[in-house]
Amino acid sequence: MVITRPSYRNVATPLTREVILHLRAGEWISLSGEMYLARDATMFSIIEELERTGEAPFVLQGAVIFHAGPAPPLPGKTVGAVGPTTSARVDRFLEPLLERGVAATVGKGDRTLEGRKLHVRYGSLYLVACGGAAAYLTNFVAEMEVLAYPNLGPQALRRIIVESFPLLVGYDTVGGNIFQRKNPELRKYM
Amino acid sequence: MKYIEGEELVTEVKIALRELNISPLPELTERLSFAWQEEDEPAREMLFQILENHRIAGFTGLPLCQDTGMVTAHVEIGNDIKIIGPPLPFLIDRAVRETYHENFFRGSIISDPLFGQHTGDNTPGMYTYEFTEGDIFRITLLVKGGGCDNLSALAMLEPGSGFDKVEEFVLSVVKEKGARACPPLILGIGLGGSGATVLSLASRALNRELGRVHPDSQYAALERRLCAKINRSGIGPQGVGGKTTCLEVRIENGPCHIATFPVAMVASCHLFRRSELSW
Repeated sequence: MVITRPSYRNVATPLTREVILHLRAGEWISLSGEMYLARDATMFSIIEELERTGEAPFVLQGAVIFHAGPAPPLPGKTVGAVGPTTSARVDRFLEPLLERGVAATVGKGDRTLEGRKLHVRYGSLYLVACGGAAAYLTNFVAEMEVLAYPNLGPQALRRIIVESFPLLVGYDTVGGNIFQRKNPELRKYM
Repeated sequence: MKYIEGEELVTEVKIALRELNISPLPELTERLSFAWQEEDEPAREMLFQILENHRIAGFTGLPLCQDTGMVTAHVEIGNDIKIIGPPLPFLIDRAVRETYHENFFRGSIISDPLFGQHTGDNTPGMYTYEFTEGDIFRITLLVKGGGCDNLSALAMLEPGSGFDKVEEFVLSVVKEKGARACPPLILGIGLGGSGATVLSLASRALNRELGRVHPDSQYAALERRLCAKINRSGIGPQGVGGKTTCLEVRIENGPCHIATFPVAMVASCHLFRRSELSW
């Protein structure tokens, strides 16, 4: 059996405006560089800190935020199993982050209508990682460290360094949306 | 009377919990490989990554998914069974605690949705018990992540409604939220019982082994029909569009009140992490 795979475009962080504008929904990218892990409780803490101090624990301008909560690393390793969580759940926290220049969010599943509109309005990408494939995806993660909120356990804010991490462009900056490409009957739900 | 050693039970459950989090069921790999051949991009590449994950999880020592889930156990226990040692839920919780700690699996449980903290060791699990006759003792373990549990739903239909109303309800939930639950999905549908117990029927359906259809051929036909309709929605693997949204629909039915028609659905993501132990 012949295993054919799609071609991947190599992309590095920080994501430049030019790269962001050129990527299109449905395109696979191989991302190298830096991402920040933040999911439900992490997002709640970041927003709370933003409101209280006016600053986040990391530079939001140009950042890539990955909605994920990793497993603890195996002994002798620094990287724990990591994969995306459902992104729609954190859409309620999105606007203050995107308006401060977050370049892309990474997760799985379609977003809420509001979440999708916000990505288009602020010219940010939504990148989709394959859910339920942590052992595979963790291969592409070189480093992982806790930056803030260690009391949140798996939901602590982490910085990771990835090498050729596989991601599908879910929403692009011109309104392209992989989740309704083939299923027009789903539009009324989106 | 058959005696079950509590210590032995803990050991068996621990082995099963490690296995189901690290090794995919062979039939599952087979079904997804078939789906991979059928799909176009980008769904095909999603399935490729899922299958690569199946292949390598075992020897990396990493779990198939970072969300090693909430542990559910359905216990069938005959009246001739006596368990030696602490009460059964304590024993299963001990197995969960030790497995998740020893294998560096993520603890995903908080003690309360409003005021709780991470329990850290993934306990408590959620256990249901069914009392039966003789010396039957069987534990069915199912580990589900949060993403697919969020697809759970309940409807109280008009009594006398046909199966098309059941389909309408299930399809509306799947179309609205299915892409977020890591498809291809496996669905358990409960029909009948009460508003409270219909979810147990749905869970029992989801607990069935892969490939096991309803014993009544009329219901087996409805299972196939609903699965085909869900697959026509086009949601596809990971929601990116495609032919494979649902691998199986299972139905469990039961008696209900003349004034009600309870319907419930629960779902598993494409990693159907199930294990059955019997003594």
